[in-house]
Amino acid sequence: MEPHATPQDETGVLRGYIAEFETPGQLIDAAREVREAGYARWDSHSPFPVHGIDSAMGIRMTILPWIVMAAGVTGCLTGLGLQWYANAVDSEAIGFIPTFLQGYNYLVSGKPYFSLPANIPVIFELTILFSALAAVFGMLVLNNLPWLYNPVFNSERFRRVTEDRFFISIDGRDPKFDASGTETFLASLGGLGVEGVIEFPSPAQPPLILRRVGLLATLVLLIPPAFIYKAWFAKTDKPRIHIVQDMDNQEKFRAQHATALFADHRAMRPPIDGTVARGEMNDDPHYNTGIVDNAFAPAMPLHKITVDAKLLQRGRERFNIYCAPCHGRTADGQGTVNIRGTQRGGGWVAPANLHDDQYRARPVGHIFNTISEGIRTMPPYGDIIPTEDRWAIVAYVRALQRSHYSTIDDVRPELRNSLRELTPLQPAEQE
Amino acid sequence: LAATPDISSDRLHIGDLAPGLGGLARIVGVAGLLAALLLSFKTGQESFFRGYLTGFLFWLSIALGAFFFVIVQHATKAGWSVTVRRIAENFSMGFGWLAVLALVIVLPMVFGFDAMHLLFPWTQPELVDETSSHYDAIIHGKSGYLNVPFFVIRMVAYFAVWIWLSNFFYNRSTRQDQSGDPKLTLEMQARSYPAIVLYAFTQTFLAFDLLMSLAPHWYSTMFGVYYFAGSTVGFFAVLAITMYWLQSAGRVERSITNEHYHDVGKWIFAFVVFWAYIAFSQYMLIWYANLPEETSYYIIRQQGPWLNLSLVLLFGHFFIPFLGLISRIPKRGRQTLLIGAVWVVVMHWCDVLWLVQPHVADHTSLVPAPFGLLDLLQALLCTAGVGGIYLWAVLRHTGAHALVAQRDPRLAESLAFENF
Repeated sequence: MEPHATPQDETGVLRGYIAEFETPGQLIDAAREVREAGYARWDSHSPFPVHGIDSAMGIRMTILPWIVMAAGVTGCLTGLGLQWYANAVDSEAIGFIPTFLQGYNYLVSGKPYFSLPANIPVIFELTILFSALAAVFGMLVLNNLPWLYNPVFNSERFRRVTEDRFFISIDGRDPKFDASGTETFLASLGGLGVEGVIEFPSPAQPPLILRRVGLLATLVLLIPPAFIYKAWFAKTDKPRIHIVQDMDNQEKFRAQHATALFADHRAMRPPIDGTVARGEMNDDPHYNTGIVDNAFAPAMPLHKITVDAKLLQRGRERFNIYCAPCHGRTADGQGTVNIRGTQRGGGWVAPANLHDDQYRARPVGHIFNTISEGIRTMPPYGDIIPTEDRWAIVAYVRALQRSHYSTIDDVRPELRNSLRELTPLQPAEQE
Repeated sequence: LAATPDISSDRLHIGDLAPGLGGLARIVGVAGLLAALLLSFKTGQESFFRGYLTGFLFWLSIALGAFFFVIVQHATKAGWSVTVRRIAENFSMGFGWLAVLALVIVLPMVFGFDAMHLLFPWTQPELVDETSSHYDAIIHGKSGYLNVPFFVIRMVAYFAVWIWLSNFFYNRSTRQDQSGDPKLTLEMQARSYPAIVLYAFTQTFLAFDLLMSLAPHWYSTMFGVYYFAGSTVGFFAVLAITMYWLQSAGRVERSITNEHYHDVGKWIFAFVVFWAYIAFSQYMLIWYANLPEETSYYIIRQQGPWLNLSLVLLFGHFFIPFLGLISRIPKRGRQTLLIGAVWVVVMHWCDVLWLVQPHVADHTSLVPAPFGLLDLLQALLCTAGVGGIYLWAVLRHTGAHALVAQRDPRLAESLAFENF
């Protein structure tokens, strides 16, 4: 930056005086004297905050905390009111408000529409937001900031205020200001020197180059809104401009569409001849279908599975998941679906009571086959329940059938007496 | 610039105050514990141990808060706090006797007292016995951590770490009173960072072990922070009370200025807010998710007398001190800050009571076990008992050295310190 002209070079207007000091202590002493002399429009300038300058200058406690408090309370009430209005107000009760301004009454997780614990985060955030904005902008307003120009900037000497010097400036508009008297007064404070603050007349208009660039920039800025304005009314048969592409337009196979990539135009490729999916090598008719020599197998496929307590446990678990809803947990055909279906009537096909003689007489392969293929309204479970689990269910069904016709002879002799004392369980309470 | 206070005429030693008060504290301590033991013949062992745990965790939190203050001042190279740091160092020197007092919890647990089975349900052997009709799969799953031998090992480790670290900082700080060696300050600063890490782990797991395991089905990963927030609030309030008491007894009258009261007040205020933030965060997540295994903790605290105590904490531990201490004026006034500090200490005690006492008689139930006035008296007697012995230990260290780190290189900075 080129050096500023000194007051002697041009004719300027005296706007006030600055006095320079070497230490913060001198600044505080001088500030006290300026205040006692009765000046009102004056200020201190220092490179860093100086302890005690507030009381020396007679600056009262700032009202900023009260502004922040008010803003915080406003934010708190805004957050509370917003959530109450948006989520908790019965929109019919305020029917005079247009629909697009009414709240929503969303039910979230069965919570009440208006519940403080859920509202506190938003209340908290808005309190902080309002307080922080009020603190920053309130500080700026109370300090008259931003204040881009001050005539003291014309002083060469004043530049050291950001480094190692301390200044007091008295504004020429102060009612007590008197050109010679104020200068003498400041000099008497014992600083390093006193200088007049001179303001030079500035040209009425900005420079030509600034005006031209400004005009050009304004015109350029008008182009996008002009295009938008045109597009608003124009008609076109072209697809709309897709600015953010993401992955919207890319080469891909689409279901039920032809593709040029393969000769047969099929997007999904059929498996190569002879392919066997993992776990689907169904080369054991007994195990996979329950059929041996074109007849239902009378025995379990013991070469593949072992019938033990573990298999029965598994069978019970699977049976209770897949079969019990219709057949009931004891396989008597009284599952909850059947109860409901019977209540509704209307051609309901009841599930079988597996304790009927015809089902007790069926070979295990037949039961397995029915589970796999389905029958009447019972859907096939072959592709839902794995093969081994289906055999486990068959084993469990056999166990249920056996237990349904059990006699006292099936109980161990030492337990028979205690069993007699028990009251029979109701079917619904049975496992 | 305000003149730096001249402390050459300050009384920097507690002098003859310490032995007399220490003796009184010891009498109160022993008498309180004996009275609590006598009362336990009427209220039962479980009530005694719950009351004892309340008092013990209250005073332990004060010591932990004090030690946290010491290491944080070193870690941040804080200048303002030099004249009050010795008070915190003295309070952190009670860990040795607190370790002895912890035996009242640990030994009955090792010997399998029935009351301990009720207090810490996870110590019941039948809960982790798969053949028992009381088998509890959840507690069995946690038994790798929650078992008596490992619990004892952890307790020994916590107190070993705290005694070792608090002695480390106390010894160097008091050695500096003689030598004025600034290298000691640098050494303490360098060790304060690993100390903070050790502190964070031991403090968190202590809260898990002694507080969270009272309800072993329940868990909250931020529980350690909750106890930490309470302990810092409690300690800063105790610090403000101690500063006031020392000055009213004619000690350190110029060393501690209004600026220090203001800053300690800011700590109290900040940690009151932090406590509320942590408490609410823990509460809201559990309230919102509404999972049965998590809500059980709050359900029993929303019934009967515990609902009232929960509301007392909400208003007394947050809203009242928040509004009361938000302005700088009450923080700078010594009497006003004293009132605030006493209030906060009482609330912190209520917070520990709220953590320890509400429990269910049977851990599958959701109805809190009854809590009577005698149980409250039991907790108060135990607090007086543990506190007497703890303060006696603190006073012994207070009497041994100056009340201010008088040759700390940052002493002048602390004396000249001013809040803007």
